[in-house]
Amino acid sequence: MKPFKILEIKESVFEDNNRQADLLREELKNQNTFLLNLMSSPGSGKTTTLVKTINLLKDEMKIGVMEADIDSDVDAHTISDTGVKVIQLHTGGMCHLDADMTKQGLEGLNTKDMDLVILENVGNLVCPAEFDTGSSKNAMILSVPEGDDKPLKYPLMFQITDVLLINKIDVLEYFEFDLDKCIERVKNLNPNVKIITISAKTGEGIGEFADWLSMEVKRWNGK
Amino acid sequence: MHEIGVLMEVVKSVERYAAENEVESIVTLVLQIGELSSMIPKYMKSLYPVAVEGTILDGSELNIEILPANGLCKSCNKVFKFLEYEGRCPICNGRNIEVLSGKEFFIKEIVCY
Repeated sequence: MKPFKILEIKESVFEDNNRQADLLREELKNQNTFLLNLMSSPGSGKTTTLVKTINLLKDEMKIGVMEADIDSDVDAHTISDTGVKVIQLHTGGMCHLDADMTKQGLEGLNTKDMDLVILENVGNLVCPAEFDTGSSKNAMILSVPEGDDKPLKYPLMFQITDVLLINKIDVLEYFEFDLDKCIERVKNLNPNVKIITISAKTGEGIGEFADWLSMEVKRWNGK
Repeated sequence: MHEIGVLMEVVKSVERYAAENEVESIVTLVLQIGELSSMIPKYMKSLYPVAVEGTILDGSELNIEILPANGLCKSCNKVFKFLEYEGRCPICNGRNIEVLSGKEFFIKEIVCY
């Protein structure tokens, strides 16, 4: 019998992905493209929020969208009605996108002359938080019906996001959702996060989000 | 249940490492998982054979070492077992705690030919 050997690897599991994500971020910086990674639970209003935001920004910048889903292309059809270029990514059963899949998507979308690319990540509060996609900034939507305890249950997601949109604020009075408590819980995890209350349905707060996004894109692209 | 996606990431890293080091076959993979990591060892174990099917890790055994979670109280500098005291300093009852360890998730080593 051949002697076996023990090879020490001692590598953080996320290191490989983190390396690729950093490379991708640098590439995007060099071609003046801002990548926003948008994450949330299923049914929180990602697609509706996106459509309204895109309509406010599409005259001032060139936008592309990548829709990531386990299957189907329903969301991609909805987004394409706004007139921006959209590509559907299928994760084939995987619950998140990693930097490598994001890169392939960007190549498929041909983002060279785009100012802003929005990645609508798979609806899930766990795995997308653990895989850096190479995005310039992370955004997250929490909707009122999901409950104000979500920051306690999914802390990592709230820690890594740069902006939190609290959606469906128009139905706040019908739910036992303590807005102040929710904001306090999020700030405890992530003191620097920007929080905007919105209603994708009525359009409340979408202007403020679009302004934030527009500023970040200009800063990233050096304009 | 995101363990399968994470395991597939582990497989990618190990395959790259194995190719670089001319490894022929792998008997055992050893992972180190912190008590505060979001990975559940039980699920990892049961999903492992599926995640490694058709890769260099096919047929290998998975060993998991658990790393303890320790907290440091920033008020009184006491180091304590984070889970046992539910994130609260056992001396001064303070909640201003720095997590020193427990979030790790490492590929430690492989036993191979």
